[in-house]
Amino acid sequence: MNITTDHLNEYAGDGLRTLLLAYKDLEESEYEAWSERLQRASKAVDCREERLAAVYEEIEQDMMLLGATAIEDKLQEGVPETIAILTLANIKIWVLTGDKQETAVNIGYSCKMLTDDMTEVFFVTGRTVHEVREELRKAREKMMDSTRTLGNGFPYQQEKLDPPKGSSVLEAIPGEYALVINGHSLAHALEADMELEFLETACACKAVICCRVTPLQKAQVVELVKKYKRAVTLAIGDGANDVSMIKTAHIGVGISGQEGIQAVLASDYTFSQFKSLQRLLLVHGRWSYLRMCKFLCYFFYKNFAFTMVHFWFGFFCGFSAQTVYDQYFITLYNIVYTSLPVLAMGIFDQDVPEQRSLEYPKLYEPGQLNLLFNKREFFICIAQGIYTSVVLFFVSYGVFADDVTQLADYQSFAVTVATSLVIVVSVQIALDTGYWTAINHFFIWGSVAMYFAIMFAMHSDGLFNIFPNQFTFVGNAQNTLAQPAVWFTILLSTVVCIVPVVTFRFLKLDLKPQLSDTVRYTQLVRKKQKPQGRRLRIVGRTGSRRTGYAFSHQEGFGELITSGKNMRLSSLALSSFTGRSSASWIDTLRKKRGTESPSAQQVSAGVSPQGAEASQVSGGVPLAALETGATGPAGGASAPGPASITEECAVKE
Amino acid sequence: MGKENPKVGKPDNTAFTQQRLPAWQPILSAGIVLPLFVVIGLTFIGIGIGLFITSRNVQEIELDYTGDQEGAPCAGCTNATTNCKCTLPFKIENKFEGPVFMYYGLTNYYQNYRKYGISRDDDQLYGNIDSLKSPANFCSPYQMGAKQMPIAPCGAIANSLFNDTFRLFYKVNKVYTEVLLDDNGISWWTDYNVKFRNPPEINGSLKNAFEGTVKPLNWPKPVYELSTNPNNNGFINQDFLVWMRIAALPNFRKLYRRISEGNWSRSLPAGNYSLEITYNYPVLSFQGKKKVVFSTVTWMGGKNNFLGIAYLVFGSLCIVMALIMLIVYAKYQVQIDRDM
Repeated sequence: MNITTDHLNEYAGDGLRTLLLAYKDLEESEYEAWSERLQRASKAVDCREERLAAVYEEIEQDMMLLGATAIEDKLQEGVPETIAILTLANIKIWVLTGDKQETAVNIGYSCKMLTDDMTEVFFVTGRTVHEVREELRKAREKMMDSTRTLGNGFPYQQEKLDPPKGSSVLEAIPGEYALVINGHSLAHALEADMELEFLETACACKAVICCRVTPLQKAQVVELVKKYKRAVTLAIGDGANDVSMIKTAHIGVGISGQEGIQAVLASDYTFSQFKSLQRLLLVHGRWSYLRMCKFLCYFFYKNFAFTMVHFWFGFFCGFSAQTVYDQYFITLYNIVYTSLPVLAMGIFDQDVPEQRSLEYPKLYEPGQLNLLFNKREFFICIAQGIYTSVVLFFVSYGVFADDVTQLADYQSFAVTVATSLVIVVSVQIALDTGYWTAINHFFIWGSVAMYFAIMFAMHSDGLFNIFPNQFTFVGNAQNTLAQPAVWFTILLSTVVCIVPVVTFRFLKLDLKPQLSDTVRYTQLVRKKQKPQGRRLRIVGRTGSRRTGYAFSHQEGFGELITSGKNMRLSSLALSSFTGRSSASWIDTLRKKRGTESPSAQQVSAGVSPQGAEASQVSGGVPLAALETGATGPAGGASAPGPASITEECAVKE
Repeated sequence: MGKENPKVGKPDNTAFTQQRLPAWQPILSAGIVLPLFVVIGLTFIGIGIGLFITSRNVQEIELDYTGDQEGAPCAGCTNATTNCKCTLPFKIENKFEGPVFMYYGLTNYYQNYRKYGISRDDDQLYGNIDSLKSPANFCSPYQMGAKQMPIAPCGAIANSLFNDTFRLFYKVNKVYTEVLLDDNGISWWTDYNVKFRNPPEINGSLKNAFEGTVKPLNWPKPVYELSTNPNNNGFINQDFLVWMRIAALPNFRKLYRRISEGNWSRSLPAGNYSLEITYNYPVLSFQGKKKVVFSTVTWMGGKNNFLGIAYLVFGSLCIVMALIMLIVYAKYQVQIDRDM
């Protein structure tokens, strides 16, 4: 026994989940009798838990010790760092887990979501609607109090705590708060009349941990945030119980690991390490946003430049909808002449290299605030397109109206404007592209070369001889582009279009540089030097000596499920629950290993996944659930502790 | 964690797939932008001066002969039907150097109108026999003539062929010497040699080739009688080609003749001239105007002040912008945090 105890201590010291194995021989008749007593106890109307506990106590005596096992259930590597860096990127992280409160809090501390120097951690454990409301209100009051006492003399006469009005005040409170709410209270808090209150309180806290949460509640929390906060939500999880949450959130991330592939199948992105989340968001997400915005802006610009020329030409052709360009140019413009460069920009563009993106999480902000493509930027794009069309048309008009010998004809005008257009938009994409790979070079210069090649081919005699009615521009390219006046026109159009753009961008860089501009500049200036004084100090593995392990002492969702609150009550779930006559941890352990049921009922015992499941919500209020999985009985506890049973209930037979 | 085969599911680790391609990352720094603007500004000012001087050296004289005002030389011809001749005297102050080009110009004439611009059959004009006998539908209502006979050349553009003719006389001491006008090569080489072809002659006669077609409604003579010169007859008549190359804008000029024969090719001397016009083409119904232009030509083409002035203006703007940006850069630039 001593040896076993020593072993156990050793394991626990290593932070492993210990399991003691013991056995006992039972006679058939003995078992029958006891089983009957168990049935009666579970059917009892009052003090059911005590009766059950007493019955269990009876049978779990005089067992023969077999030995001890230990299970590793670590948090993945890099989880605290990831959470820290995402918090710096203005992403709020909530944890939604099925674990017990102690386990969840433990996890919170070990991944640095909760810290020892937080002002206060609120525990909402009320059982009734009133209690929950009361607790939420008290939490809000405490937070508002701190604002008043710490505010610099701003008088807060009003005590109105209407959630919508109070929100902006609450969000700006000093001090760090955390909220821990368990599944039962959450069930009350998610009711229609209280959900806003809950959301406001939760959003005011730096960290929110929801424990004992059922899969449906996970989805409901994500839904709540989606509905009321205009934020983008991301849910990350690894088990089948996270599937509903992953599907509800805007972005679902599945961690492929021990728990099987249901989460992976339901998600938008999959990886195996939680820490990949920071790369997903801060590097790829940010680049993707940047590329998309640049692409969109350029696309609108080039099409407006292309099309608005016809608008101006209308004034001079009797509004007869005569096209300025050759019909084949119109067909090929968007497909051949201008599509590849912008595609290359949309694939390869990077404003800041990846190491810097991870170093400066603040770079993530423009995506959250919609800075790169909103109504204003759109109108600027359009305005630039219209200005380009004005320049293109009227410069050519000025030259042609004054007549230049053989050039007063329509087809020469078309060729001049078309060539100017292609060159202008190519120079513009060259300006827009911030990251010139070999492919970009090839596409941009290749597109211009392609334009000239195709134009000369189409204006050649060969094609005309075959289809006289189609290729009526025969001889144009050679004749028009041989005129120096045309080239001067093209040069003037290009420069007049591009120079204001360059001016604006230069002045903007000088007067109002964005963080990405500054980072880019320093990156290029100090390419070879090691960056000094990094902004983000990598969070070390020190800190409070909370374990990085997850474990629980009690049974699983039973109470919450049988309370009948917000469950997907499938008959399967009910039947399999009531069939569980023995709540001994050996049986549950065996059962968990045997069946992996994806329903709402999560069996409590069992192996917890090695990956950390978390659901996160980026933007305003993210949710994260670190699901350390089922609870395994800790070593030493001989029976499921009836800790939640109130004392006053006497055990009656 | 999974002890799966490490190769399964792992993405490629090449520079392309991991977005590590070597790349050039330009930034708009002051060291690039400001000198660039100054260079552009100076270059443009230089070009502008060059272009402006070139344009100023072009000599040009423009003569309106619409006859829409009382007492104008050709006022009497506006109501006449055909072959009304009128005379337009004018004076050249300074000698016109080099080969002088003669243009006719029209205003308020929308050759770029869409329905007008597509009203032609390039197949027929290419000499295709099938199209000759059955012109394309684009040409309607100038597709079929009387008795459903196909019109050659069909279409509104051909139908509205400019048919005023001019003769130029130089007056010295009351003696009028005709100035010879040359109509060779007034259209594009590709037009004359590639785009427009006569249908193959039948029995050595162009007229037979056009058997079965009628002339356009508004033409006085059929297409095979446009000129006595067989190299300038039919679809390849140079005046016809010049007209068929439609103008881009409502006020345009088209090349009519060159003065490049004999002594006149070196220069057109100063003095009094008289232009004899056969006024056929009606323009008053749409408030159009007709004019004749004599102009010398440089490497830049005809007189074109716009380009020179535009370059000068923009060059100066560039220099001004460069100065402003320099001031802004020196004074107001946000200092970059060097500790980053």
